[in-house]
Amino acid sequence: MSALTLEPILKGRRSQPHMLIETLLDVQESNGYVSTEDMKIISRELGVPEIEVYRAANFYKALSLKPRGKNVITICAGTACHVRGSNLLSSQIHGLLGIGPGETTADGLFTLEQVNCLGACALGPVVVLNGEYHDHVTPAKLKALILKAGGQEKQAPGKKRTPVKASARKEAAACANGKKRHSSGKALKS
Amino acid sequence: MKKIVTLTIDGATTRAPKGTTVLDAAIEYGICIPHLCHIPNMTDIGACRLCIVENIVDGRSRITTSCTLDVQEGMVIRTNTERIRHLRRNIAELLVAQAPNSRAVQDMAVRCGVKEVRYPFRNDDCILCGRCVRICSDMWQARAIGFVGRGAERRVGFPFGDRPAYCKECNSCVDTCPMTIVPCEGSMKPGEAHLCGGCESQLSMASGAQEAMCVMCRLGEGFKCSRYGWQ
Repeated sequence: MSALTLEPILKGRRSQPHMLIETLLDVQESNGYVSTEDMKIISRELGVPEIEVYRAANFYKALSLKPRGKNVITICAGTACHVRGSNLLSSQIHGLLGIGPGETTADGLFTLEQVNCLGACALGPVVVLNGEYHDHVTPAKLKALILKAGGQEKQAPGKKRTPVKASARKEAAACANGKKRHSSGKALKS
Repeated sequence: MKKIVTLTIDGATTRAPKGTTVLDAAIEYGICIPHLCHIPNMTDIGACRLCIVENIVDGRSRITTSCTLDVQEGMVIRTNTERIRHLRRNIAELLVAQAPNSRAVQDMAVRCGVKEVRYPFRNDDCILCGRCVRICSDMWQARAIGFVGRGAERRVGFPFGDRPAYCKECNSCVDTCPMTIVPCEGSMKPGEAHLCGGCESQLSMASGAQEAMCVMCRLGEGFKCSRYGWQ
């Protein structure tokens, strides 16, 4: 990105070192990540030493220094979520998409991230997909989420287990239906 | 005119201008508090934790790093109590375990009364004391290096991973690094790691000295101990 495209973000923040985090967050939101060029421009315009910009961008999990995929899956790896099997979800994603924490699929569709706590320990394991929180995630739920997010275009790279996928989709659909039925039943009862 | 405050360090009444740290005041009066990350006339960050002292407030003692503690009127500081020595020895042990192949760290550890290191050696070659970072930003105003990452991944690095053009290549960071002063001659191979006798002999020169007594170690000269800096 050039200084011109960063203009709306930098407007009113020039020469104000204390606006560093806000600026970085805005860049992150509009680009999906903070590039080295962006950081250099921010350093120049805000009057913050480059090392400080780099340090701040490196410090916060909310800021990514590498381009991220279209869909960002965030898995909570806090104690409560870990006890309830969030590491199984991580390894399931590794099996499905072939990515580990902090990695992006080759087609740029998915990025997996791990955070230490999302503050919803009672609802664990918690998975955030594109800013949407999902509680009590099971492998089946996660699979359904990924298939939904990836849509038809998603074909797991390096994996060719379409029959499994199809059955999984059915399974997921059944699961979703079951939940719906369940919830509607509840609604009826009440 | 600078305001002078009176404080008590180890029972001795000392006077220091307001704004100086307890560590500087103590060193000026010849009370040696072991320290590693402190460089004279630089901002202190209290990274190495070796300069801990007991600050007695209302009869209760608080343990603080003296390099980040400013002098106040009527302060009571104790630098050499049993509790402090115990904590300091432990901290020094951890520092040696982190970077055993450094004479400066080992000297300081021996000075703090470490006889053996009970922790597994990590051989990291960096104790994150921040001497290099501060000399770069405070003295040279270059800010070419800094701390990057957080938690266990914290390290000293260049912005964006490469040496920037504005690095003056003055090598001050290398000069002040405690790792670059005459490496230890003792064995630091995994399994047979131990503190070398060369460092211990430094202390034994002043035989009979209690631990936590300043022995005017040559180490101080090497990495600009403020004892030498004041002269």
